[in-house]
Amino acid sequence: MKTNNNILVFTACAGLFISCAATVPTELVNAREAYRRASTGVAARTAPAEVHVANQALAKAERSFQEKSDSFETRDLAYVAERKAQMAEATASITIEQENQAKAKNDYQATQGKIIAKTNQDLSKTRTALAASEQSGEMAAVQLSAEQEARAAAEKQAVDAQAALAKLAAVKEEPRGMVITLSGSVLFASNQTTLLPEALARLDQVADVLLTTRERNLTIEGHTDSQGSDSSNLTLSQARADAVRNYLVQRGYEADLIRSNGLGEGNPVADNGNAEGRANNRRVEIVVESKMYTLNQ
Amino acid sequence: MRHVSKIRIMVFAAATAATTIIAAGCTTSAPLRTDASTSGIRAAEEAGATEVPQASLHLQLAKEELERANALAAKDEKEQAVSMLARAEADAELAVLLSREETEKSEAKAAVERVRQLRQDNKFAVVTNNPYPKGVSNENE
Repeated sequence: MKTNNNILVFTACAGLFISCAATVPTELVNAREAYRRASTGVAARTAPAEVHVANQALAKAERSFQEKSDSFETRDLAYVAERKAQMAEATASITIEQENQAKAKNDYQATQGKIIAKTNQDLSKTRTALAASEQSGEMAAVQLSAEQEARAAAEKQAVDAQAALAKLAAVKEEPRGMVITLSGSVLFASNQTTLLPEALARLDQVADVLLTTRERNLTIEGHTDSQGSDSSNLTLSQARADAVRNYLVQRGYEADLIRSNGLGEGNPVADNGNAEGRANNRRVEIVVESKMYTLNQ
Repeated sequence: MRHVSKIRIMVFAAATAATTIIAAGCTTSAPLRTDASTSGIRAAEEAGATEVPQASLHLQLAKEELERANALAAKDEKEQAVSMLARAEADAELAVLLSREETEKSEAKAAVERVRQLRQDNKFAVVTNNPYPKGVSNENE
C-alpha cells in the first residue's frame, strides 16, 4: 500500500514537472537568459545594484510561475525582469563609456601639458640661440667695421704715398703695378754703378714713401741707352739696379720683397738718336707690384 | 483535531473571499494610473530615443503597451492593465538608458579622437606611443 502511494506521488510530481517544463513562458526563458548574461558579464562588476534589482525581478517572476504557472502576471513579471537585466547591462555600458571619457580627458590634459612643456623648452632654446646669434652678429659687425676702417686707412696711405712719389719722380700706373722712374743721370755718373751723393737724398725720400707700404713687392729695373755693347749695357743696368736695391734694403725695406733686373738697352722710352732721348732711356724704374709675393716663392 | 482544522479552513476561505471582493471593488473603482508610463515615454523621447534604433524600438513597445493597458482598463480588466503598465514602464526606462548609452559612447569616441588628433598634430612634442591610433577606439564593447 505504501509502495503504491509512493509511486502515485512520484507520478504526480513527474507529471507536474513535465507539465511545468512544457509551459514555461517565453518571457521567463528570455528573462533567465538576460539575467545570466548580465550577472556573468561586465555588469556584475560595474553595475552590481542594477544586477541585484534584475535578480529580484526575476525571483518575483519565478515565484509567480511557481504559484500561477503561465499566467499573464508571470509573463509580465518575466518581461519586466528581462528588461531589468537589460537595464543593468546598459547601465554598465554607460559607466564604462564614462570611464573612457574621463580617461581620454585626462590623457588630453596630460598631452597638452607635454606639448606646452616641449614648446616652452623649444622657445627657450630658440631665445638662447637668437641671443647668441645677435651677439655674434654684433661682434661680426664690429670686426667688419674695424676691417673697413683699416682698409680705408691703407687706401688713404697708398694714395698719399703715390702723391708724395709723384712729387719726387715720374710715377705711372701700369698693369704690372705702379712704376716710379728715376733718371739715371741723377743717380749715377756716366758709366758708373755707384750712387751719387745727391742721388742718395732723392732715394731717401723715395725710400721713406716706400717704407710706408713695405708689404708690397718691388722690382728694381735698370735701363741704359743704346751706346756701348749689349752685354756691357746689361751688366751696367744690372749693377745699377742692384745698387738701388741694396740701398733700399739698407734703409729697412725687406730684402725678400725686392728683386733687381738689369734690362740693358732693350726697353727704350725715347729716341736714342739724340742726347735728350738717350738721357731719358738711362733710368732706373722701381715697380711697386700690385700683387704680393716673395722672392723665395 | 479534524474539527478544528475545518473551522480554520472555513475562516481562511471567508477572509480570502472578503479580501477578494474588497480588492475587486477597489480595482473597479480606481482609475488606471498611467503617470509613470507616460512620463517614462516622454523622458525617453527627450533623451533622443527616436534617434537610436534600439532605444526607438523599446520606446515604440512602451507606447503600444500603454495603449494595450488602456484598452484592458476600458474592458474592465484592471489587473491585466496594471500588469501591462509595468511592461510599458520597463520599456520606457530601458529606452532612456539605451539613449544615454549611445550618447556616452559618442562622447567617449569624440574624446578619444581629440586625444589622437592632438598627438597626431604634435608628434614633435609627444614622443610616447600613441595608444589611440586612427580608427581604433578604446571602447569596451
